[in-house]
Amino acid sequence: MAIRTIDVRERVMAKNDELAAGVRRRLRAAGVTTFNLVSSPGSGKTTLLERTLAALGEELRIAVVTGDVQTHDDADRLERHTTRLVQAVETQGGCHLDARQIATALEAIDLDATRLLLIENVGNLVCPASWDLGEDAKIVVFAVTEGEDKPRKYPKMFRQARYAVLNKIDLLPYVPFDVDRALGYARDVNPDLTFFRTSALTGAGLDSWYAFLRGQGGRGPGV
Amino acid sequence: MHELSIALEICRMVEQRLGPAQVHRVVAVGLEVGNDAGVEVESLRFCLEALLTSPPFHAAVPELARRPGDVLRLSYLTVDDGSPQDATAGAPGAAGAG
Repeated sequence: MAIRTIDVRERVMAKNDELAAGVRRRLRAAGVTTFNLVSSPGSGKTTLLERTLAALGEELRIAVVTGDVQTHDDADRLERHTTRLVQAVETQGGCHLDARQIATALEAIDLDATRLLLIENVGNLVCPASWDLGEDAKIVVFAVTEGEDKPRKYPKMFRQARYAVLNKIDLLPYVPFDVDRALGYARDVNPDLTFFRTSALTGAGLDSWYAFLRGQGGRGPGV
Repeated sequence: MHELSIALEICRMVEQRLGPAQVHRVVAVGLEVGNDAGVEVESLRFCLEALLTSPPFHAAVPELARRPGDVLRLSYLTVDDGSPQDATAGAPGAAGAG
């Protein structure tokens, strides 16, 4: 018996990151800006995307990839608001999307006819933070019903994100949620975060969100 | 779930690293896991212990070392070549022998 040790020193995410780099190159070459929307389940990502597609889907030529553990329900909802393809990825138990799934989803999307790609990740504030999908930026969505402490409890997600959407602000009169404290916790983790305050249900705050997307769509590497 | 997919990726990396090499069995899989890596160490260990029971691993032992930061790295493999010779000779990147 001969026992030997093989020195490896290889990052576990190396393969995913290599695939993500390929996705990023492909999207940027096509002039497509890509955002990866991440959140806990029930934060309102799908409703936010429904409103966004209805308002800007044609103008910004938005394509969408949705990720869910089971069902295509989110994709079915979003398809009602756009004539463009909504690609559904069912992870079959997986708690996040990975770069391979996005690379596969892109095969069905006409990138030449797309300016903005929005990826709705699986609802989970932990795992999606670790997986680069080839996006230009992550946007973390959190709702006032979740409590102010989400940035403290899930710092990696808020650290990885460049933008944060505080959603369901129409419920502020009914829930014990301190906006300043929540945004302060988020800034403690990531001082560079840009915030939006929205109610995807009532439409409050969406003008700023839409203006932001109009300013980003199609810029690709300049995001 | 997260740790299971990471464990599956680690197994893929081990198999790729071994390639066509004539390895009798993998004895240990060494990993560095950062405190901010977003990985629950005992969960990852559990998943690896389950996955490493099948060939070519033959109940290899996952050896997880905590590190500062967010590193998540396959650091080494300990393998049994199944022969009495000193297999470190001629093995690129090999270090140490048992």
